[in-house]
Amino acid sequence: MSPSVPDRTLRRVLIFFAAIAAVLVAAVVVAVRNINRAERGADWVNHTHAVILEIDGVLASTHASDSALRTFLMTNDPRDQAAGREALGALGEHLSIAKALTRDEPAQLTEVLRLETLANQRIDIMQRVLAASRTDQTEAVRTLTAADATTATVSEIRRAVEKLKAEEMALLAERDTAAYLQAQTTRWTVWLGVALDGLLLIGAAWLIRDDLRARRLAAAALAEANTRLELRVRERTADLVATNEKLAAENLEQRWAHQAAEHQLRYYQNVFNALNDLVFIVTKALNVSRVNPAVVTVTRREPSALIDQPLAQFVQLAGDPTGKLDPVARALREGRELRGQMASISDAHGRPVAVRLTLFPVRDRDKVVGGVVVLEVLAFDQTSTV
Amino acid sequence: MQKHILIVDDEVEIRDLLELFLSSQGYRVTTLEGADEALRVVHSDRPDLIISDLQLEESDGLAMIEKLKVTLPDTPVILLTGVLFDAQVFRETLSKKVSAYLMKTTPLAKIKAEVERLLAV
Repeated sequence: MSPSVPDRTLRRVLIFFAAIAAVLVAAVVVAVRNINRAERGADWVNHTHAVILEIDGVLASTHASDSALRTFLMTNDPRDQAAGREALGALGEHLSIAKALTRDEPAQLTEVLRLETLANQRIDIMQRVLAASRTDQTEAVRTLTAADATTATVSEIRRAVEKLKAEEMALLAERDTAAYLQAQTTRWTVWLGVALDGLLLIGAAWLIRDDLRARRLAAAALAEANTRLELRVRERTADLVATNEKLAAENLEQRWAHQAAEHQLRYYQNVFNALNDLVFIVTKALNVSRVNPAVVTVTRREPSALIDQPLAQFVQLAGDPTGKLDPVARALREGRELRGQMASISDAHGRPVAVRLTLFPVRDRDKVVGGVVVLEVLAFDQTSTV
Repeated sequence: MQKHILIVDDEVEIRDLLELFLSSQGYRVTTLEGADEALRVVHSDRPDLIISDLQLEESDGLAMIEKLKVTLPDTPVILLTGVLFDAQVFRETLSKKVSAYLMKTTPLAKIKAEVERLLAV
């Protein structure tokens, strides 16, 4: 797997989470704004209800004052008169509150002012009736009856109140519809945000799962490759160790063979050198190839003066007129031993020394390759030759 | 447990090579130069097998083996020498004193086989 793949996956996952966060923030912003609007709408509804309550209060106070006045006119009881005054006071208070509540709403304020005018007319009539009542009951009733016919009646105030209430209720219905739509918008915004976030989360999860699967596959492939590599390394190491051991064994065997050959050579050299008899190693042509130290001692000749020279140059067989050691040469060619032949060997000064000659053919397998001539000294005066 | 092999030879090269080879085969090896030393050592560290040369520096290998046999009557002995003995001579004389006779030119593989044969008994 390319090293850039995890980075790309990480970037994509981060983008997904950024989108999720953005959707969440957008949903929250929209929801909070709608909640604020709903709060403002609720304030307005409360305000409208307060206006309705106050104008209902105006109507109720009007009825109460009117009723108290009429009762007072019949009973002339000061408590009824006080109740009438109290109702008029409440009427004024309701009107003041209604004006205050509608001061930012010109159309409603106009209606409230009209209601106030009607109420003031009614209050004025009542005050005049009360003033009349202190002097003459009959006159007062007449005045009240005349006022009912010419000025604003309670019914007129009631109609004004109902008109104003109808307008307020219509506004309430409108605000209610708007509030419902806002709530729906908030709901849809929240659900849409949740759905979108859910989809984005599913996408991110799919990406992460895909990445994890790719990582697992890559890890498994890497582990398998490592296992194969380790196996190959182990096999190769085992091969190398085996080869090394084999080479070491061969090397040791060669060293052993070499020293054994040297040892044997040295051993036989010592044996050869220790012989008291004169020993010549000769070729098939009877030329000298090697001598032992006894030859040097007896002949006073250095090996260099003997080697590669015909044996006949130094050794003579008794009774051999040719002086070429023919019997010896013949025996050697035929591969047979020749024993006890009387002979002589001449030293460096040409003086003969009597010897007994024996020939041993040397074979390499079945083939005669040379011979060993041993001369047993019969009489050798060492002092006379020194 | 590792088998103990005593090598007696006056030539250092032979001692070293045999020690190297037999150690690599898993044996514990003691190498000595002379007969006197060998006769002394076997009392404290008994070998399972003795490999001896015939011609030692100051003694005869066969004489040393005779003395060793007093202490170690059942210990097998290989005579490893450069002296060539006739098979009949070995059978009639040397076989009474030694378990096996090997020329020094014998390959190490054959020496190993002989050692294993004698130690397996």
